[in-house]
Amino acid sequence: MTTVLELRDLKTSFFTGDGELRALHGISLSVARGEILGLVGESGSGKSLTGFSINGLISPPGRVVGGEVRVHGEDLLQVGPEEMRQARGRKIAMIFQDPMMTLNPVLRIETQMRDVLAAHLKLSRSEARARAIAALDEVGIPSPEERLRAYPHQLSGGMRQRVAIAIALLHQPDMVIADEPTTALDVTIQGQILSLVQRLCRERGTALIWITHDLAVVAGIADRIAVMYAGRVVEMGPVDQVLDHPAHPYTKGLIASVPTRRMRGEKLQQIPGRMPALTDLPEGCPFQPRCSYVTDACRSPQEMRQIGPDHTLRCAHPLTEATE
Amino acid sequence: MTEEPILSVSHVSKRFGGKGDLLAQMLAALGLAKPRPQVRAVEDVSFTLARGEVLGVVGESGCGKSTLGRMIAGLLEPSAGEILIEGQAPAARMAKPAEGQGARAPRALDMQMIFQDPFSSLNPRKRVSDLIGEAPRVHRIVSPEDLDRYVKDIMDRCGIDPAYRDRFAHQFSGGQRQRIGIARALAVKPEILVCDEAVSALDVSIQAQIINLFMELRDELGLTYVFISHDLGVVEHIADRIVVMYLGRIVESGPAEQVFDDPQHPYTRALIDGVPKLDRRRVAYEPIKGDIPSPLDPPKGCHFHPRCPLATDRCRSEAPVLREIAPGRQAACHLITTDTDTTIKETAEWPVTKTG
Repeated sequence: MTTVLELRDLKTSFFTGDGELRALHGISLSVARGEILGLVGESGSGKSLTGFSINGLISPPGRVVGGEVRVHGEDLLQVGPEEMRQARGRKIAMIFQDPMMTLNPVLRIETQMRDVLAAHLKLSRSEARARAIAALDEVGIPSPEERLRAYPHQLSGGMRQRVAIAIALLHQPDMVIADEPTTALDVTIQGQILSLVQRLCRERGTALIWITHDLAVVAGIADRIAVMYAGRVVEMGPVDQVLDHPAHPYTKGLIASVPTRRMRGEKLQQIPGRMPALTDLPEGCPFQPRCSYVTDACRSPQEMRQIGPDHTLRCAHPLTEATE
Repeated sequence: MTEEPILSVSHVSKRFGGKGDLLAQMLAALGLAKPRPQVRAVEDVSFTLARGEVLGVVGESGCGKSTLGRMIAGLLEPSAGEILIEGQAPAARMAKPAEGQGARAPRALDMQMIFQDPFSSLNPRKRVSDLIGEAPRVHRIVSPEDLDRYVKDIMDRCGIDPAYRDRFAHQFSGGQRQRIGIARALAVKPEILVCDEAVSALDVSIQAQIINLFMELRDELGLTYVFISHDLGVVEHIADRIVVMYLGRIVESGPAEQVFDDPQHPYTRALIDGVPKLDRRRVAYEPIKGDIPSPLDPPKGCHFHPRCPLATDRCRSEAPVLREIAPGRQAACHLITTDTDTTIKETAEWPVTKTG
């Protein structure tokens, strides 16, 4: 398996009147060709910020302050703005949560798709149109010729998200980052989008990072999971390993708080408290105020370490069958 | 359940639009304007709810579940049908109790609503003690001397530190704000809570805290819930009975366990199959095709037929009625056949989602 994207110690900070707020504390992960990585976390964990940092979409007062974003070995943090523009869309593309915000409300779908094509390719009008129709057809939009003339508001939410996906895939990027693309959609439409993305990834070998707060969605489509908490990846590994044998107390708490049919009507296990604010992170492990396994060792910074084949963890007290 | 239902909803419908203002009506009468379209948001919905029961109302956007919730809570007038609480119509419950009947507040307060967005449902200019204490003070549920202690008790019960009662809503996190919303509803001692997507905006770990709070309150206070949500996992966890809605109509209802374990209506099956689950890995999703039709122009016959893999000619022309298919279970589908002994026959092969 060839590695498409590799993040090494990616750090992003915001510079405010109160000084530097460290939002990402060194993210390291990699995604291979055709692989789907689920990036899971609650609001404020830095999961979307990771996606934005990879794409070079952080604007002041935020800044990527360190690390590497390697796509096929090339570090995107070292290239100039023109090369970054070349890479965006062609090498990495992004799908956002709200397709109404990605699509321009006053332009027809055709205009928007032609613009994206023209960004990287010299095509005649009819060639561009043919490419756009093919792309819409591929994401399962019925009668694509007619849809090209439509404005975004004339389409339903699911259709809009399909158009956004078609646009993201126009240049056949190697890497797609999907930031909660189904969160705003209904269950049946979510199923359609999940099946579509799955199929496209498998057929084309596109690497995908699926950012979500919904563990169940990730369980359904991902090969590997990275769990984020307060700007750090705290646990990463194959889906079955992480969901069936979570080693980090936070991962275990997250899984236990999802209602499932096995415990209908029973009390859900809950993680006490909430995620600390960036301004007010404790020394050492950020999860310690909410953790029931906390000891003195948690007050010193934790490093990511290997605890199994392809299973890494940032915790002083890994949960095993014995401690559970 | 022999006792009288605490809530009874019979043949309730709600239509929006239609007539328009006076000018539009005059133009329409003169034939100068097209009649304005009418949305049938809720159509002929009936059910009853026993004391202490949790009713889950599920469905996708535009199915009318929120409109139904708002009608139950008294925020919208039904266009047809009636909603009785403890056998009383809303108007009777609005009446203030006669003087000297003790400190009983108007019965309309028996029904309280908890909203989805804890950010927009709390007045940003009021302190928490006012948000929670205003209604009991106005309705004289507690005396002014006892108000402070009363508010503290309720905050305590809902898991908010009473020391924060002089803060404003914006100083709390989303989960805490939802607790304030619950405390505000509980302050008037309601019997029924209508929760409209009350946990949908919250993070998973916070969502679990709020669901647990709802269940504790049910045990302690014997509350009855109408729990409206698009999240089937949450509803399955909390509800005793389920109503599944599609384009304004009930398509299936019954005890939660039976509906989730053995859904009968094709739409219910599609919904339940489509929900991602923690223990379903690398699923090959085989979703139901198509979009939810516009409620302005619902399909003829069964509303679900354009998306239904089992649709027949009869489904395209004739709307199925909601009928009993087993004791306590109802569904509206032509394809469900019932024997004389009212056991459910397997209707047809269903494209089950494959794992692998």
